[in-house]
Amino acid sequence: MKRFSTIVALGAIAIAQVGPALAQQAGGPTDADLMASATNTKAVLTNGMGPQAQRFSTLDQINTQTVSHLVPAFSSSLGGEKQRGQESQPIVYDGTIYVTGSYSRLFAFDAKTGEEKWQYDARLPDGIMPCCDVVNRGAAIYGDKIIFATLDAHLVALNRETGKVIWNKKCADYEAGYSMTAAPLIVKGKVIYGNSGGEFGIIGRVEARDVNTGELIWSRPTIEGNMGQLNGKDSTMTGKLNASWPGDQWKTGGGAPWLGGTYDPETNLLFFGTGNPAPWNSHLRPGDNLYTSSTLALDPDTGEIKWHYQYTPHDGWDFDGVNEFIPFDAMVKGKMMKLGAQANRNGFFFVLDRTNGKFISATPFATKTTWASGYTKAGRPIFIDANRPGAPTTTKGSSVFSAPAFLGAKNWMPMAYSKQTGLFYVPSNEWGMDIWNEPIAYKKGAAYLGAGFTIKPLYQDYIGALKAVDPATGKIVWEYKNKAPLWGGVLSTAGGLVFTGTPEGYLKAFDAKTGQELWKFNTGSGVVGSPVTWEQDGEQYIAVMSGWGGAVPLWGGEVAKAVQHINQGGSLWVFKLPKA
Amino acid sequence: MSIGRRQALSLIGGGAAFALAPRAGAAPLDTVIRNGFLSVAVYRDFEPWSWRDAEGLKGIDVEIGELLASALALRVSYLELIPGDDVAADLRNAVWRGSLTGLAPADVMMHIPVDRQLALANDRAVIVGAYYRESFAMACNRERSPDCEAMPPAFKGRPLAAEIDTIPDFYLSSVSGGVLRGDVHHYPTGTAAVAAVAGDKADAVVATRAQIEHGLLAAKDRLVQRKGPLPMMMSPGWNVGIAVKDNSRDLGDKLESVLAQLVANGKVPAIFERYGVVYRPPVEA
Repeated sequence: MKRFSTIVALGAIAIAQVGPALAQQAGGPTDADLMASATNTKAVLTNGMGPQAQRFSTLDQINTQTVSHLVPAFSSSLGGEKQRGQESQPIVYDGTIYVTGSYSRLFAFDAKTGEEKWQYDARLPDGIMPCCDVVNRGAAIYGDKIIFATLDAHLVALNRETGKVIWNKKCADYEAGYSMTAAPLIVKGKVIYGNSGGEFGIIGRVEARDVNTGELIWSRPTIEGNMGQLNGKDSTMTGKLNASWPGDQWKTGGGAPWLGGTYDPETNLLFFGTGNPAPWNSHLRPGDNLYTSSTLALDPDTGEIKWHYQYTPHDGWDFDGVNEFIPFDAMVKGKMMKLGAQANRNGFFFVLDRTNGKFISATPFATKTTWASGYTKAGRPIFIDANRPGAPTTTKGSSVFSAPAFLGAKNWMPMAYSKQTGLFYVPSNEWGMDIWNEPIAYKKGAAYLGAGFTIKPLYQDYIGALKAVDPATGKIVWEYKNKAPLWGGVLSTAGGLVFTGTPEGYLKAFDAKTGQELWKFNTGSGVVGSPVTWEQDGEQYIAVMSGWGGAVPLWGGEVAKAVQHINQGGSLWVFKLPKA
Repeated sequence: MSIGRRQALSLIGGGAAFALAPRAGAAPLDTVIRNGFLSVAVYRDFEPWSWRDAEGLKGIDVEIGELLASALALRVSYLELIPGDDVAADLRNAVWRGSLTGLAPADVMMHIPVDRQLALANDRAVIVGAYYRESFAMACNRERSPDCEAMPPAFKGRPLAAEIDTIPDFYLSSVSGGVLRGDVHHYPTGTAAVAAVAGDKADAVVATRAQIEHGLLAAKDRLVQRKGPLPMMMSPGWNVGIAVKDNSRDLGDKLESVLAQLVANGKVPAIFERYGVVYRPPVEA
């Protein structure tokens, strides 16, 4: 089966006779290497540039003084007739750049020349229906393997030298609406990932598999009442049955942790965000609906929940809680603390004590938050009841204008934390929506009672806003406004720089202290990937994927019309300074 | 079941139909006739309309699709669609764009609600040819719940069945101030919900009328259908029709008139009868 599932790419034919390197570990990154990846400037070994995903590099050859000279070193095409969104973050190791592409493809390029070494195309079944574009957000590297998730909810481990399949495991049923798009996280020899599939009557699960065999080690449901698994046996129930879910709704409550997670070696905790509860209409499920729209802190060895914090209890606006939770250390009231931060869909920037999940602060980073006026000291939102979409009776329920929109003040696109400035750089969007619960939306041929929405920009001149947030105060230190919505990741460096891409096609560099735009380059298609940097032969390189797509053109309503003329693409762009 | 349909279905079994049928995607009438095939999109796992069992693909929509094709002297091929989040996604995938992963759209999609708002919001598709009036109904297990005519609060404490994320689900979860919310058991399909009641797992089910009547066909001795209306049911019912791409209005118009003939000459009602569903003509808008 493994062999048949490999659609051999052109580059791999020549080496197809080489047997798979099964027993021998052909070197490659170890657990220790992955844990130290945030300070390893010679490689990019993990999604997020370190298990904490701070996306900060200590490199400073490219800096506020030199960045204006930055030029392309090479560009490599992902080819193919179909392109669509390229949300990948490159992995760089041992002279090779690995990127995942749309339609579940993985490419290995020579890091010096951009020449393609090999390509792997997952054979996707005809019937998959990915809700929000055919994207992939990146791979994970370990030993002789490079591992990524596919749109039909498989994890595939390839030999990183040859692109041949080592193992291929089905993680969920695509026919039930599951797909997988996030980069896997590897901790202590385990591949850890979350499933997706939001509104199809599912429950979310965080799962861990043996990185060498792909066998399931543990599975942790994200909705209370469901039983976890450990080593093939039932482990413990998540939460307490029916504590915050009525009837049997806990069996289908949503909460998909589809964006994957981060890991903090200091506390030995995994941090996974969970999606919104199902159904949308919150009037049908009184209670907090644990553990949706939350961050869960999990034990990587057993999958037990060590703590949880719920950003939007009893969500009624589709404020998915999956956004990345980034560990960082800072002074709070004169005391150095182990903290974590999340910029939530719901418009608030959260700081928690990452050792126990205790609430420290929540400050709005979007200009408008209509659903809550703030948070109590205990960390509960102060709801504005009039701005919860009304309960539908025999007609459409009352419609409310809500900001942020369900696509979030920040969506999947990862923010960065600079150890140099102590600021978080948050790629955000200023938009709202008309939302209502209604009896006339149709599903599978039948009228169904769900929710309807229309996304609207809040301002005439911009939607996207890259914001530098001070986690100590929640204050916006600077802000860069972009006409089109931002949908790509951010990188910060010790060179005093912040990099991010725009749908207009630019990769841009900003002064990390002031927000002044210092450099830009047009890549030919919208940038929704996450930039990285590393050092090679004494030179600092920057790489980013270009290729417009993702949820905005598919779901964005009025906003989608503003970006409908952007050309599609699929290229890896690599930049460096010219040699003097 | 006619021989012609079996032949067509046997082609589909191994995916051979896709190899033979032109995969150019949705096409106007002239092109469809020239191609010799009518590709018909139906929902997957949607008993009694379109589903697979040991015999293959079957159902009311499957048979109507075949009648439509043969009335135009065409062969039929089917696209079995996994439903998306809403019907707008289904129209996108099955009628005017095709799926993102390269599945070409069909010439016509069965079982699309005929609704003015839905049509206005999806202007790349044309919705025509209403052929049935759907609504919701309730059935009870004869032994477990003898009075199927009781008011909703009387069912408190008894297990009730509904398909997840549908009006029956939300009806049972919200009626009479939500007193039944804790008693609702969710099933992946309406048919599974009806089967739960027939199979003694629940006392009563709310589902589409077609699902209830089709369930009664197999389990009349175990199920009884509620005669009275469902108090506070928010949906008055809706017309079910077909959809084509916006450049294929002539195909839509042709199929609409063919459908009307097939209803008038009793062929469509006869299909419904075989599946146990009482044929109800669409309500004039």
